[in-house]
Amino acid sequence: MSTLAQTSLLDRFFSPKEGSASRNFFLSALWWSLLGMGAGMLAASEFSMPDLIRNVPQLSMPHLRMWHVNAVAVGWLSMGYVGSMFHMIPTLCKCKLYSERLGNFTMWAWNLVMTGAFCTLLNGNTEGREYAELGAILDTLVVVGLVLTAFNLYMTIVNRKVKKLYVSLWYFLGSLFWFPLVWVIGQRTFVSLPGLNDAIIGWFYGHNILGMWFTTVGVGMMYYLIPRYVKAPLYSHGLSMLGFWGIALFYAPTGTHHITQSPVPEWLKAIAIISSIFLLVPVLTVLTNFFMSMKGKWGQVVTDLPLRFAVTSCMFYLVTCTQGPFQATRWVNWYLHFTQWVVGHAHLALLGTFSFILTSSFYYSIPRLTGKQWHSEGLIRAHYWLKFLGFLLMMSSLTTAGLIQSAGWAMGMPVDQWGLQIRPYWFLRTISGIMIVLGQCIFAYNTYKTLFTKPSGADVKAKAAREVKV
Amino acid sequence: MYGYRLGAIGIVTTFFIIIFSTVLMPMVLFQPKPSGRGNDYKAIDAKIADAERGRKIYVREGCFYCHTQFTRIQDRGYGPLVKEGDYVYETPHQLGTARTGPDLTNEGGRFPSEWQKAHLITPRVVKPGSIMPSFSYLSEGDMNDLVAYIQTLGNKRTVTTFVQAPDEYLLTTMQGRGLAARKTVDTNSDAAANAGRGIYTQNCAACHGLEGRGNGPNAITLEKKPPNLTRDYYKQYPDEFWFYRISEGVVGTRMPRFQEVLSEEQRWYLVAYLKTLPKEHEETVNSLDDLNVAEPVHLPKLSRQQWEPHHGKE
Repeated sequence: MSTLAQTSLLDRFFSPKEGSASRNFFLSALWWSLLGMGAGMLAASEFSMPDLIRNVPQLSMPHLRMWHVNAVAVGWLSMGYVGSMFHMIPTLCKCKLYSERLGNFTMWAWNLVMTGAFCTLLNGNTEGREYAELGAILDTLVVVGLVLTAFNLYMTIVNRKVKKLYVSLWYFLGSLFWFPLVWVIGQRTFVSLPGLNDAIIGWFYGHNILGMWFTTVGVGMMYYLIPRYVKAPLYSHGLSMLGFWGIALFYAPTGTHHITQSPVPEWLKAIAIISSIFLLVPVLTVLTNFFMSMKGKWGQVVTDLPLRFAVTSCMFYLVTCTQGPFQATRWVNWYLHFTQWVVGHAHLALLGTFSFILTSSFYYSIPRLTGKQWHSEGLIRAHYWLKFLGFLLMMSSLTTAGLIQSAGWAMGMPVDQWGLQIRPYWFLRTISGIMIVLGQCIFAYNTYKTLFTKPSGADVKAKAAREVKV
Repeated sequence: MYGYRLGAIGIVTTFFIIIFSTVLMPMVLFQPKPSGRGNDYKAIDAKIADAERGRKIYVREGCFYCHTQFTRIQDRGYGPLVKEGDYVYETPHQLGTARTGPDLTNEGGRFPSEWQKAHLITPRVVKPGSIMPSFSYLSEGDMNDLVAYIQTLGNKRTVTTFVQAPDEYLLTTMQGRGLAARKTVDTNSDAAANAGRGIYTQNCAACHGLEGRGNGPNAITLEKKPPNLTRDYYKQYPDEFWFYRISEGVVGTRMPRFQEVLSEEQRWYLVAYLKTLPKEHEETVNSLDDLNVAEPVHLPKLSRQQWEPHHGKE
């Protein structure tokens, strides 16, 4: 009897049930997204109302910002990505995940990291390195999480039942190989480098957490989802390979374009800027591939909401990746650096592109993992419009604010002169933050209603739909 | 599985080539020597406040999200340019990414410590329109250390020119040489300053006040307040910069373009007068010995209550 109780406890937390690891990762990602985006919204409102909260160190703007960045990057996006991979890789390999128990264990480790981050970052226990704020213990735990994820997924691919690797798997395999290395190099936890070398490595990492993880996994997800939504084969396998190798070659050396006007070596800046411009090649090939695959199927965005999220994501990817090379060039960087334009650009990549594709994957995967149809399509629509319009508002207000700031710097005006001029844009950004967080809350409510109030096994048909042809 | 051996080798090789070229190579090839112009955190007596601990508080409070610590060629008014060797002992680096607030590379000594401290507690009282969060939750010791850190920023970078007028006012361009050739006023003479006084009273005093302290009667109605021209900062304005400011006004404020109203000669007289405005917080010493023992930084003896209007008892 006691053995039975123990087993059930073990099964409860480290369930061997198929699809449970993926589902739990998705749910944790959703939870941390609420806290992370909420912190972002609160920080944004402190820009327009600086005296909103006083004497609470945990809620002061810089602490909220640390938590916001780590929560959405390590919590929401990364956990959601792992959840998506736990669903997509077994499907593409036509086999089960190597170990669901290990997957659930990884999920708990990752949640432990996020809980630790929540407790430390809001109290200012930071390493003081942008995007690498987490302390030594948490850094190590993240590496454990990444390595376990990579092991689990590599073993799944080894056990696969199809011979040929679809292009999504290339992206996933590549990312799982290089991202743990980028993380280890970038954290600089146990080394103390002289200032500018610290900055060079810092930006190698700061750009590659985006380039070698969010972009490559995100694009892999797009490759998986879009042909499935439109039920059409991928336009060109050759183009997809060109895109993959283009990203692998040109993304990693671009980091130094973040510090083109600091006294770091010129040759390094040159490598970074040239690679940044060459990035147009993979980006345009990838998007050509998607858009050609959608040929004749564009009308489906009207009815297919996950597809609409994915197409919006591709469109924002086009904008963010044409902005990027352009603002990495020396003159434009000279003008735009240090301003809110860059903040807008960062949100365009992480919120506009990768958060949208993750949301799309979420809406696509959950019915297939749990066998339950979404509680309400109207709520999905509401989520889409709040997130889309909120994001457009955020992007336009930050870009405008950035242009005002750049004009101010170029004319040699001190901060407190143009600072007054961008107050309306801070306000608009607060509104946009409220819209996005509201959308996310609707998303969470819809997920809750779907998973926890419907009797299980209500829609058996949806579960069967998981077995699609590759 | 084995069909992908070449691909796997390709990915691993590509990645390590990139790591080699952009991570390892800079570590080997780029090893700047200390320039001797980096920040000297020992400049302030540890008994008064600990600037190195202040740096940790700067990191802890996340100041670097809004304040940068490197000056660029195009920045006007942020002091000397930084060089590679200035950052040798700065780890973790605090270069920063966004300038939502001003650059702090050479912030040390720009404002009195009392001002810095008041600014940390109630930013909008000392700097209207600022959106800096209040750090009133810092303890007395933390605050003093943080102020000490701010005051040491750039303390080894000697100031040559803080601000420079645009090229067309300098001797490096044809227009600038033409301007200098037409200049007949000796801006260092008392006579020229005396001539400028009347021009100042008629055109400037309504906003800038009779002594240039920024407290003229019109100041109360302006959202961007006129500056206090007696501050140390304005004492290092070169003539051309004064002339440029008077001629072209200040964008974003109500300061007009006086080249529409005043002749070149009148503007030079005005420059001569502005240079004679009194200097705020001026301290005089009687001998060079006194100068050498003067403390570089006076740390505040203010209690927090003085800056907290609603705090209650003193």
